[in-house]
Amino acid sequence: MRKLPLAGIRVVDLTMMWAGPYATRILAEMGAEVIKVESPSAWDNIRTLIPQPGAPDPWNSSYYFNDYNRDKKSLTLDLAQARGRELAIELVKRSDVVIENYRADVLDNLDLSYDVLKAAKEDIILVSMAGFGKTGAERDHVGFGPIIEQMGGATSLTGYGDDGVPYKTGLSYGDPVGGLAAAGAVALALIHRRRTGKGSFIDLAQRETMALMNGEAFVAASLRGQGPVHHGNRSPRYAPQGVYRCEGVEQWLAISVRTDAEWRALAAIAGADDLASLEEEARRSFHDQIDARIEAWALTQDPQAAMETLQAAGIPAGRVLNTENIHDDPHLGARGFWVALPHPRMEPWRQPSSAWRFVEANPHLRRHAPLFGEHNRELLVGLLGLPEAELETLAASGIIGDAPINPGVG
Amino acid sequence: MDELPLHGVRVLEIGGGIPAAFASRLLAGFGADVVRTEGPAGALTADEEVYLLANKRRVTAAGDDLRDLALAADILIEDRTPGTLDGMGLVPQRLRRRKPALVIVSITPFGQSGPCAHYQATNIVSFAMGGIMSLTGHPALPPLVTGGSQAQVLGGLNAFGAALAAYYGSLVQGEGDWVDISLQECAAGMLELYGAMSESAKVGPVMRSGNQLRAVWGIYPCADGYAGVCCLERQVKAFFNLLGDPELTEPRFADPTERALNDDELQAKVFAWFLERTKAEILELGPKHRVPLGAVLTPADLLASGSLAERQFFDTVPTPAGAARIPGRPFLGLPWQGDGLHQPAADTSAVLAEWLGGGR
Repeated sequence: MRKLPLAGIRVVDLTMMWAGPYATRILAEMGAEVIKVESPSAWDNIRTLIPQPGAPDPWNSSYYFNDYNRDKKSLTLDLAQARGRELAIELVKRSDVVIENYRADVLDNLDLSYDVLKAAKEDIILVSMAGFGKTGAERDHVGFGPIIEQMGGATSLTGYGDDGVPYKTGLSYGDPVGGLAAAGAVALALIHRRRTGKGSFIDLAQRETMALMNGEAFVAASLRGQGPVHHGNRSPRYAPQGVYRCEGVEQWLAISVRTDAEWRALAAIAGADDLASLEEEARRSFHDQIDARIEAWALTQDPQAAMETLQAAGIPAGRVLNTENIHDDPHLGARGFWVALPHPRMEPWRQPSSAWRFVEANPHLRRHAPLFGEHNRELLVGLLGLPEAELETLAASGIIGDAPINPGVG
Repeated sequence: MDELPLHGVRVLEIGGGIPAAFASRLLAGFGADVVRTEGPAGALTADEEVYLLANKRRVTAAGDDLRDLALAADILIEDRTPGTLDGMGLVPQRLRRRKPALVIVSITPFGQSGPCAHYQATNIVSFAMGGIMSLTGHPALPPLVTGGSQAQVLGGLNAFGAALAAYYGSLVQGEGDWVDISLQECAAGMLELYGAMSESAKVGPVMRSGNQLRAVWGIYPCADGYAGVCCLERQVKAFFNLLGDPELTEPRFADPTERALNDDELQAKVFAWFLERTKAEILELGPKHRVPLGAVLTPADLLASGSLAERQFFDTVPTPAGAARIPGRPFLGLPWQGDGLHQPAADTSAVLAEWLGGGR
């Protein structure tokens, strides 16, 4: 396709933190016009998390905020004030999608429930992505990504194996998983609207999407009563498998052997020829001894060179890339994955491109995350047709603003 | 009730592993006519087949038949190594030329281009190369892969959304696209704040922190398992009130900057609090006091959850070993169907007749 798939779609983005903004970042990457709505007194707290040191306006200078809000527009509106809410409704009338990740009761408390939005625009699509959904006994639970991961079953399935201790993913895994599903929900609802003319109200519980990530464990539990089994870095399917320390500080290589032939190749490279004839069952029985031999070899190896050597022999192997050296991975570099965008307040840094690489439509990063209220005039005057003079009135009553009223909170 | 949102949409799954099967499972649940050609034997475990193949028709096809099925499809989803499709007579660019509306989604460990495009990978290799593994696990132990096959399922979830976005674009523009999804990029683009911190603030790599990032953001043993807390600054006070320890009003704990310097001492207090309470007690306190508390629940716990039952979350799939209960619709609001499993190749003649028309 020549244009991005969501070109011409306007999204009112009421989301904050990570899950919702990750969903709307994807929608923006796909060409939608995403309007991020924040109140001058209740704004996205991520704005001030890890700002660039010395930035005069930290709410515009956070790396975290910028990574997940690029390609969006910023409109400030205090939805708790009557005029702010009225303007939000006017915006909804001109939009296709509203998306929010408030706690389950918040949108209703603002008198912006689906029925209200539908009365303003008959075919509006509302995506709500509360942690535990809009209904059900647990709808009032509060939770961020790691809570979602615990409550969705994933944490129970992760561990080293010898101590029974469950481990959380090292980032707020529930957030991007919920965000991805929400982006899919928007696309599905747009297809539905195109085919039927009808809008929809999507009630996405982040905890449920998390459970979807481990469906086979539910099969095991329901058919055989099987509880979580912690394999550490080993695998019930491939042996040997593990991560092995390499030369240098905290350098690790993941290796996973699928076949006898791959094992023979690895044994030859790692100087374990005496073990080369072991078949899978035996490799499983002697996994500890095999690990010791691989580790002894790996400790003398540069991780990148070792990976290349093993891959040249057809063995699945990959570096445990860390949050720093992943930016210098030659493969991601060759694919143009990291892109430095100009920013009016910050030194450029390399941000990730869209993972949805449309070969023909070619999505690419367009613009840095918006400054606080940067598009107020464009949207209020240009889109909603307000007289220029009302901007001052709105600013005076704190309905709009170009800086947070309470910058210390966050 | 409206008809299923993807009713009549034809999806051809060139079966391989988890990513393509997961993406098309969700499409099948929303009503797409998903036809799966089998991948290499053993590509999926028996449990994965029960979870990922419900609602799919299964065929054996090759050569002209396979190409004609691809051209009769609206969406083709595959996760074979780059170049495999070409060898099957399904060159993506050629299919796209012959049927401009066709959407093709390819999911591979490293994408279709670049020096590592042909690298071999299993889940742990993809997980390692995506960066999340470096953050996961105990600092004194090696980095840890998470349970299940998260790198691959994540690719499938990306492919689900990308396929739908592309299909919507195709409906609007009359032209589909070929979407190149790399498992490595799916993960590398969601490193929370850690990726940006390391890259921009020059703080070096952020290393794995185990189960306690800090005292108020962690998982602890409790009376009958494990439970956790995740407080933003604005929720810390309510959590401290729950802990009920008068020392917590002192500046060394109440002040965020000083608290960071006394995190070990605070962790000891939090540890003791969790140990005295059960998961159920902890979960009841969360919403009551507006504190983000959670418990480490197992699949069996979730299968028994009243809240999930109330939301009719689970599907039931009949199998020879009994009724499997699996996570169902990813969200409410558009109709979804749960259904049974088909045998391999069972639908070959029916699908060839329906998709390719008479004369067969």
